[in-house]
Amino acid sequence: MGETEQGPKEAPVQPLLRVASLQQRIGRRAVLRNVSFEVFPGECFGIFGLAGSGKTALIHILAGVDRFTSGSVEILGHDIGKTEKFKQYTGLVTQKRSLFQDLTAGENLDFIAALKNAGREAIPPLVERLALEDYLKTPVSRLEAGVYQRLSLACALLNEPRLLLADELITGFDLNSRRLILDELAGYLERGGACVWSFSSMEFAGLMSRVGWLENGEITVYSPQAAGEKWNELERSSSPLSGEAHA
Amino acid sequence: MLRQSLAIMGREVRYLWRDRGLRHILLLGSLVGILLFWGIYSAQVLKEIPTAVVDLDRTKQSRELVDGIRNAEYLKIVAVPESFQAMEEMIKKGRAVVGVVIQEDYGKKVSLHRQVRVLMVVDGSNIIYATNASTAILTVTRTIGARAGIAALLARGVPLSQAEDAYRGVDIEEEPWFNPTLNYAYFLVLALALNIWQQCCTLTACMNVIGETGLDSWRQIRAAGVSKLQLFLSKSLVHIIVFMITVLPVYLLAFQVFKLPLRCGFPALLLFTLVFAVAVHSIGTLMSSFARSAVDSSRFGMLVALPSFVLSGYTWPVEAMPRWLHPVVKAFPHTWFFQGINCFAFKNAGWGMMTQYMLIMAAIAACCYALAALFISRS
Repeated sequence: MGETEQGPKEAPVQPLLRVASLQQRIGRRAVLRNVSFEVFPGECFGIFGLAGSGKTALIHILAGVDRFTSGSVEILGHDIGKTEKFKQYTGLVTQKRSLFQDLTAGENLDFIAALKNAGREAIPPLVERLALEDYLKTPVSRLEAGVYQRLSLACALLNEPRLLLADELITGFDLNSRRLILDELAGYLERGGACVWSFSSMEFAGLMSRVGWLENGEITVYSPQAAGEKWNELERSSSPLSGEAHA
Repeated sequence: MLRQSLAIMGREVRYLWRDRGLRHILLLGSLVGILLFWGIYSAQVLKEIPTAVVDLDRTKQSRELVDGIRNAEYLKIVAVPESFQAMEEMIKKGRAVVGVVIQEDYGKKVSLHRQVRVLMVVDGSNIIYATNASTAILTVTRTIGARAGIAALLARGVPLSQAEDAYRGVDIEEEPWFNPTLNYAYFLVLALALNIWQQCCTLTACMNVIGETGLDSWRQIRAAGVSKLQLFLSKSLVHIIVFMITVLPVYLLAFQVFKLPLRCGFPALLLFTLVFAVAVHSIGTLMSSFARSAVDSSRFGMLVALPSFVLSGYTWPVEAMPRWLHPVVKAFPHTWFFQGINCFAFKNAGWGMMTQYMLIMAAIAACCYALAALFISRS
């Protein structure tokens, strides 16, 4: 009755990804300590950290590539430690070149589509949007960095994932590739997808909804502005000229 | 699921084909092997064994002996050195394998029907040559010895028929079965070619697991959620089909062109080979499941593939090996395969025995695959 009077209540938005108390140890070294965060539909959650901070380890755990020591990770309600069903909803772009080196770009798209049980009809629109037409017959080992990353993104999106996991999605490659990738990502987010994007250059913080700052295996979540300010502060304090500037 | 499996199989075929080194090894390795071994053993038996004769007597009788040696089927007189030392030098330098020394008093003793000694030496450094040379010499000495004995009996007034009977008291007939001419080609060509084939197969199978898990593209496979069982079953199926395809031309050459004996029937031989191919694949898969790199996996694979032929008992009987080695030898599928090839292709030893051998190889394969699965699940 009350509902009728007040109008239907909006159901709270459920997170696509829920990470709680995640720990990862490799040998004696703790790579991730008590990491917790959530990612919601339409959100681009950035994971910032310098080299060796555990970004790649975290992305690989979320993608189900590596196992973790303790804690829990749920993707669309699936506990990733217990089932692999969540993999039909995820896409992965790795930092290292991980496409099949013995295949051409087109063969990679076909093969990965088959591995993901994705329809072949998903391939042409991605090829068009990421301008890959001219490279389909080129072995991936011969692709330039920008084209390779466009292809990696196309492969990751073949199954129309709900959660895109991207490790260093953009590095120092050509501006055209950068634009195409960012356009594709924006469209993907508009369509309700979510993204976890690890990055090590603060220039991308502005593209994120929130930024998880990973340091010594621990994560602290900031707004993009707060993350930028913290970075600027760190830069100032670590600059060899900082003493003179303050003086 | 089927689409995934077919895609994995298609990619594996492409991978095997595009890896030029692997392709050449698989397609040409055993073929070149069988052609090479056929060329080597085309003489089939060792004839014209180089022989040096030192005739210190130089009498009519000694010349008759030299003629006897000259007419021997498998000996060829290549030199008539002046002295024992000269003959010794020839054997040392490999110019002669057999040396015959006829003493100064040979003719005189033969005339007097006394016992006479003729020295025949054989270069034992090459065991195959030495064995053949000894057999050839034995044939000559038997004939010459019998002839001299009959002559001695005749001189003592024994009638010819009685003298001949005395030397044929026990008539032992030698009858080599399954390989009447003791043909080396029958015995060795197919086995050596199959040995190369199994080594190539092992090398390929050694890439089965580490060839995926050791590459960065393993992350794509893991992220796609393809089960390890499905992945490696699909890949393994391709490998085993390729192994069988590559053995077909070897068998074709062996049985159709070189006319090696095949008494068990071709389908039975193929079935027997298929079980061995699976067993070899299981060993490679096991190696690749715990190796830290593709190179390590190949090294482990070769550690098994290289000595397995020698251990198989094909060239040296298992019964003659130390007892403690028997369980090790029997744990190799190669032992059952190469012994089986001998028993079935040459002798058609029957389905009962073949089934037993195939079950043992299948059991070895099951153990290796199970161990590999354990290592893969922990990785």
